[in-house]
Amino acid sequence: MQQNCGSRLQLQAIHKRFGHFTALDDIHLDIQPGELVCFLGPSGCGKTTLLRIIAGLEQQSSGRLLQGHRDISMLPPRQRDFGIVFQSYALFPNLSVQDNIAFGLRSLGQPKAQIKQRVDELLALIGLADQAGKYPAQLSGGQQQRVALARALAPAPGLLLLDEPLSALDARVRGHLRKEIRRLQQQLGVTSILVTHDQEEALTMADRVVVMNHGVIEQVGTPEQIYRQPATPFVAEFIGAMNFIDSPRQADGKVRLGATLLDMPQAASQGARVRLAFRPEEVQLLPRHSGGLPACIEQLEFLGTFLRARVRVAGLEPLLTVDVDPRSALHLHLHVGQQLDAHLPTVNLRCYAA
Amino acid sequence: MSQMSLSLPTLLVRQERRLLSLLFVILLLLLLLVLPAPLFSLLSRSLADAQGQYVGLANFRAYLDSGALQRALGHSLWVAGLSTLIVISSAFAAAWALTRTRLPGRGWIRAALLLPILAPSLLPAISLIYLFGEQGLLKSWLAGQSIYGPLGIVMGSCFWTFPHALMILLTALSQADARHYEAAEVLRASSWRTFFCVTLPNARYGLVSAAFVVFILVFTDFGVPKVIGGNYDMLATDVYKQVIGQQRFEMGAVVSVLLLLPALLAFLADRWVQQRQAATLTARAVPFTPKPDRLRDLRGALLLTPPLLFILAVIGMAVYASLVRYWPYNLQLSLANYQFERLLGDGWGSYLNSLRLAGLTLLAGTSLVFLNAWLSQRTPQPKPLLGAFQLLALLPLAIPGMTLGLGYIFFFNHPDNPLNGLYGGMTLLVLCTLVHFYSVPHLNLLTAFKQLDSEFEAVGESLRASRAQILCRVTLPLSLPALLDVALYFFVNAMTTVSAVVFLYGPDSNLAAISVLNLDDAGQTAGAAAMAVCIMATCALAKLLHSLLGLYLVRRQGAWRGQA
Repeated sequence: MQQNCGSRLQLQAIHKRFGHFTALDDIHLDIQPGELVCFLGPSGCGKTTLLRIIAGLEQQSSGRLLQGHRDISMLPPRQRDFGIVFQSYALFPNLSVQDNIAFGLRSLGQPKAQIKQRVDELLALIGLADQAGKYPAQLSGGQQQRVALARALAPAPGLLLLDEPLSALDARVRGHLRKEIRRLQQQLGVTSILVTHDQEEALTMADRVVVMNHGVIEQVGTPEQIYRQPATPFVAEFIGAMNFIDSPRQADGKVRLGATLLDMPQAASQGARVRLAFRPEEVQLLPRHSGGLPACIEQLEFLGTFLRARVRVAGLEPLLTVDVDPRSALHLHLHVGQQLDAHLPTVNLRCYAA
Repeated sequence: MSQMSLSLPTLLVRQERRLLSLLFVILLLLLLLVLPAPLFSLLSRSLADAQGQYVGLANFRAYLDSGALQRALGHSLWVAGLSTLIVISSAFAAAWALTRTRLPGRGWIRAALLLPILAPSLLPAISLIYLFGEQGLLKSWLAGQSIYGPLGIVMGSCFWTFPHALMILLTALSQADARHYEAAEVLRASSWRTFFCVTLPNARYGLVSAAFVVFILVFTDFGVPKVIGGNYDMLATDVYKQVIGQQRFEMGAVVSVLLLLPALLAFLADRWVQQRQAATLTARAVPFTPKPDRLRDLRGALLLTPPLLFILAVIGMAVYASLVRYWPYNLQLSLANYQFERLLGDGWGSYLNSLRLAGLTLLAGTSLVFLNAWLSQRTPQPKPLLGAFQLLALLPLAIPGMTLGLGYIFFFNHPDNPLNGLYGGMTLLVLCTLVHFYSVPHLNLLTAFKQLDSEFEAVGESLRASRAQILCRVTLPLSLPALLDVALYFFVNAMTTVSAVVFLYGPDSNLAAISVLNLDDAGQTAGAAAMAVCIMATCALAKLLHSLLGLYLVRRQGAWRGQA
């Protein structure tokens, strides 16, 4: 098997403006060889623009791109070293599966036998060896996706770019392909960038996630870091669910959460009020009079592996979202209108400027 | 160091962009040379006297004072308006019957209704003379009315513009979403209410567009009124009379400008309406298929019968008349009228010229339209260039053939024009025909290109394939069906056109359709009918070839088009 040699990619102070609109503002990023990095953000956050700049399909307004030691800032796409998979796959409909995969190898002018060998190798790798002679229209969406992947990987590029590659597929196929792409990527060791608006995709596949919003990077970190220590309220809210509670800062540097006074989790934030944040699964619901804050369930939502409750807690302004595992729910006989006690977390609270 | 070694290929790729833009600019300049430049010549000529001195609007005033304008303009508007009304209502009825019923043999009926598009507009006029003229078969049907005049012009115009309207309306009606009909049914709407609330609103843009197209076609047509108009003056025939009859070029220019204005207005109005049209048909629409309904089929058959009979009668009469030895005294059938060497100085020469013109227009037109559409859609081009191109590509839709042809005389026959050697030759005829019919193929290919994934070029670049490789291996094979349609369109129109080329042909480049005109002028009506039938047969043959090639393509490409 031909081993890809993933290359390091450095983005330095990338700016992109369309007229007066700033699409990307001072992007710095260092992607290690063999790493899979996800650009995650809502639509319009600039993630696709950044990917297209890395591919050379768009020209940055200013800034530098380094692939390995090579400055690729001004190179046209054809002279950069990458493979790309689009959301639409963009498979050539008039070429068979094997001709699609061989397309890049033919442009490189490789000898026929070598091309044949490489195509067979890739077909085996994506598990479509028996579909080689078929045309894209005769394949399922998931199969087309894998062909597009094989086509991008065929010339053994140092960098693989994936632009929302799974969003046109249904949920079951998507889950399967996530694993498949990750396996291939790790097996080949190719540096990869995946653009997505699906947080689950980002969290399950990436070595590191780059969360973007309004053209800036909000946070870069491992999926766990992103989830456990969101750097900004935007990240906290965009990844998973989050409860926010505004609270005045006390004189002694403590903050009040419900009835309890807590040490300030982080000293960083300024201002008279702070915004405290905690995840729905960090709140505990207990029978009445177990020493928590009095709470009342206003809504219940069954989500399969857990129940999501909307709970009114005495002394707190917004309704809290609380996730309850099915066993506890059964134990508590959870129902709407029920009076309970809620235990709010006292450790690992995130704290932002209000 | 490495910077230096990289810069050369980088430069080449940069150059590629510049080369593509340069090519586009050159093609744009060519378009400028063959469309706006002649129009400008025409405009300036209309403001000058016979000696070329600038006289302002004096020519216009003179034409106005003669009273000819009011008469001709009134006639043209009346005839065009009436024909539009008749054609749109009957074509809409026919389109409804073809798309909303399960009448057997719909394909054949559709083909028959589209037949007139293969004939020159002179054919119905000649045929109507045989049907309703002084010695006509059905003269008594007119109850003393003369076919020579508005009656004949309207009938003839309806014949040849009917397919144009039918095609637009068929498209409009076949883009129906079955879910709308199901919703109407579930809400218990009567079939009349469904028609007025679903069918008609969905087709309204098609109706408007078809009405404008028919109006412009009739308003600017010259063939039908020339043959059957008698003394009924129309603007288009007036241009011909001024230029060919009286050699008053500046007056011809005046009338041409007046002919251009309403056409331009109709064109702008149509664009305005089209831009307001939001895509009502989403990608998720469920195509509509009519349910079996005997009563509805019967209604459809009733609606289809009049246009079908009229079209078949007109064509049948033309063919019959061309085969009869001496109408109406000797009804023996023979091919005598097809012996053009007896009737025309150059025998079959003009027919062969037409074939050459059609062939060359097909080749040049198809390649040029393809190249331009590709450059504008699939390569990076500066925005202002694209805007200019878009305008230039659609402009021919608004320019009447007579106006274009006269503009060509003024521009290319000007002694100071280095290209005046082209005048009277085949090259100029090809150029003029190509420009005259540029817009429809352009729109056709644009649609085809828009259906291709916009990322093909990007994928190609990432796989280090050149633009040319993507073009040859992907874009071209994928647009073959559209190219086939474009080729047929150019061929048929080049075979049948009269209006622009009537000013441009020379002794060695006479054309078949013009021979029809000249034969009719010389009283050789049977010969004229024979030549018109020849043109139609040739176009029908081309259409047949087109269908066979289309079938072959479907068979060859069926696998990857997902039809196998």
